[in-house]
Amino acid sequence: MELKASAFSAPAFRQIPVLLAGLVIALPVVIVLVSGLADGSGAAWTHIRETLLLRYLIGTLCVLVITAGLALLMGVPTAWLVTMFRFPGRGLFEWLLVLPLAAPGYVLAYAWADLAGVAGPLQAALRDATGWSARDYWFPDISSLPGLAFVLACTLYPYVYLTARAAFISQSVCTMEAARSLGASASRTFWSVALPAARPAIAAGLALVLMEAAADYGAAEFLGVPTLTFGIVRAWKSFGEPAAAARLAFVLLALILTFVIVERQARGRAGTQQSSTRWRQIPRVDLGRTAGMGATALCTTLFTLAFVLPVGRLVWRSLEAGGQGTRVWDALANSVMLAGAGAAFAFILALIIALSIRAKGPLATFARIAASSGYAIPGAVLALGALAAISVLPVTLSGSIGLVALAWVYAVRFTAAGTEPMAAALARAPKSIGHAAQSLGASPFRRTFAVDLPVAMSGAAAAALVLFVEALKELPATLMLRPFNWDTLAVRAYAYASDERLAAAALPALMITMAGLLPVILLSWQISRARPGGPA
Amino acid sequence: MTANLDLTGVTRRYADRAVVDGVTLSLKPGEITALLGGSGAGKSTLLRLIAGLEPVDAGTIQLGNHTLSEPGRTLAPEKRRIGLIFQDFALFPHLTAARNVGFGLKHLPRDIAAQRIQHWIGMLGLSDRAEAYPHELSGGEQQRVAIARALAPEPDAILMDEPFSGLDPALSGSVREAALSAVRAANIPALMVTHDPAEALENADSIAILSHGRLLQCGAADDVYRRPSSLAAARALGSVNVLSGTAVPAEWRTLHGPEIGVRPEGVLLDAQAPVRVRVTSRRLTGPLVRLALEGPGFTLQSLVSHEAAPRTGTETGVRLDPALTFTFASE
Repeated sequence: MELKASAFSAPAFRQIPVLLAGLVIALPVVIVLVSGLADGSGAAWTHIRETLLLRYLIGTLCVLVITAGLALLMGVPTAWLVTMFRFPGRGLFEWLLVLPLAAPGYVLAYAWADLAGVAGPLQAALRDATGWSARDYWFPDISSLPGLAFVLACTLYPYVYLTARAAFISQSVCTMEAARSLGASASRTFWSVALPAARPAIAAGLALVLMEAAADYGAAEFLGVPTLTFGIVRAWKSFGEPAAAARLAFVLLALILTFVIVERQARGRAGTQQSSTRWRQIPRVDLGRTAGMGATALCTTLFTLAFVLPVGRLVWRSLEAGGQGTRVWDALANSVMLAGAGAAFAFILALIIALSIRAKGPLATFARIAASSGYAIPGAVLALGALAAISVLPVTLSGSIGLVALAWVYAVRFTAAGTEPMAAALARAPKSIGHAAQSLGASPFRRTFAVDLPVAMSGAAAAALVLFVEALKELPATLMLRPFNWDTLAVRAYAYASDERLAAAALPALMITMAGLLPVILLSWQISRARPGGPA
Repeated sequence: MTANLDLTGVTRRYADRAVVDGVTLSLKPGEITALLGGSGAGKSTLLRLIAGLEPVDAGTIQLGNHTLSEPGRTLAPEKRRIGLIFQDFALFPHLTAARNVGFGLKHLPRDIAAQRIQHWIGMLGLSDRAEAYPHELSGGEQQRVAIARALAPEPDAILMDEPFSGLDPALSGSVREAALSAVRAANIPALMVTHDPAEALENADSIAILSHGRLLQCGAADDVYRRPSSLAAARALGSVNVLSGTAVPAEWRTLHGPEIGVRPEGVLLDAQAPVRVRVTSRRLTGPLVRLALEGPGFTLQSLVSHEAAPRTGTETGVRLDPALTFTFASE
């Protein structure tokens, strides 16, 4: 029997930290919702509602639908191939295909716009090869809605790839063998057994794709696609009406919530829990020569489009410019300082929440839900919440207040990402160690510090890295809250790109991508080791 | 179609180590053969070879006169018409019990498939659970769905990998009964992998003993138990007392031979017998009592009824039941 520790051994004051953590995270969200509902009906809102809202809504929906479709096409078949078959380069692609996650959407948008523009290398090569002039052919325009969806899918498909791959790996090989012994061909086994069983995992990955795509500001703005997030920043910047922006945020949140509910409903009663408990190394089927080359070509194409071409272009551009015309070092220092502060703040909140999960009190649940909703909410929306909170305080948004607000927004947005590795570290430790500590006479207080904390800290390095890099990549909130003339790498890249100075934007964009590679490589290293049922 | 499933010299190597080594075995329709062996004996690999999940490195697998596997040519599992039942059932979690059973019936017209599903669901007593999902079923129900699913396409043979080991012992008796009678009624060759000699003896018509990839012996259950071809085969089905050399009392040497193996229940207490022993320990094993007996230069284990079991320290005579005593040529 498990003792309910919270029932009698945890006095109320021990719950205070987790309550505070939950409130700190929930506050901006609640403020946005309330202000959006209560006082959003100004002149700007009337204008937006009558002329822009429908465009924003349709734009966002189209981007989300196309991005989701592309991410599925990119992520699921490749995950299936690297999990179930042998073909040249399989082991390499297994982790290479995760790398595109490192570059934020706006960086990819800059690189692709540069690559695919009329003066870019792709079209130049086409003209050289064919002798056509620029007016003789059609070339896909990256500054378009499908272009935005393509760019977002390129950087976000790894979420689907990762979750699908994990699901394919962990599903019972026996189930697939049973299907084949019942006369199902390899392709029917995929469509009617493996895919339905992996569906919830794929849906979870897709939900991340949708959230990130909905939250994107930089790429949409740069490629000129009207989306809700784009509209939110614009309503705040051009019309100076945070309340109107909050109303738009409200629409966006409703949209995200709808996706979540629709998916839950569609899942229905069908089980997804594998009834199989026996694991065996997946016997990968050799694809043979022709099909193997096809698989290699598919993975190579995807990796080239999503990573090699755009990142290679950034490297090329940075080398070409040789640092001329780009000021990055001050921005780098600012980025490191700000992301460090935001990550530290988020880290403390994440640690408090992770430690409270064991206690299972209602406050812990509240804090966790707050953290995961914060993660789902676009940075632009959270920035609005922070602005609204500041407006009721006796301070003005200037200098260091803006930086504190930014650290706060980062913490709200990313705490969930930090909670996860630490909660996982705690979950890996047997439940009984807490009881063992208690039976040895440790007080709950000592148990927390002498047992739970050191255990959670084994996941701390990963958590800190993820938090730092996420904060480093963040653009819209940083743009809205930073002090005047105080740039981070993301803001600097954005500013150069907005001025059509892509060559100058390349270096900061590249630096962000390189920083982004660190946690992604850590992640791919971890997934290449962990496999249930693998040799223990 | 009811045809024999014939394995001839079937061999499978993993990196030069033969996990299945020259196995020749003939499975007859309507007969359940238990494939018995310890862990690592190659039982599951042999099963996978027959199912077509792995290729053979030597030998052939034939169903009637139709070759399923030979080196370099493996008929795909989905083309073999061989049913598989897994230890963990491997039900499709996203399909109801009825749709699990119907999974292998896609080639049939819808109404005929529905009838077939009804038939098998009813036969295994699952009619009221047809619309439940696997996670809503008990272990025994899941097992019966797995069996109905494997039998519904009317396969030409059926393979069962430790089919009852995942079940609660209290439950497995009744499930086993229902399952195996359905398998027998299908009148096809059936192979049941198990590591439990009692399960093999109780349920199978014949027993094949596998050890280190080699077939030690194969035959009717009764024959294999009473006339094992080797000490290893004898041990695979239960414990054996072994006496050899000078340890064998002279009376038994002339009666049985110079090397003797005898099952504990074949060691009979008989006050008049010339070979004398002393009871050194007496333990309950449930239905019977296990005695440790010490004679001049030898020790024996004996299983006797509670009524017949003497106290520790008692001196008595023993003789051996010829039906449970084996001699081995060279071991």
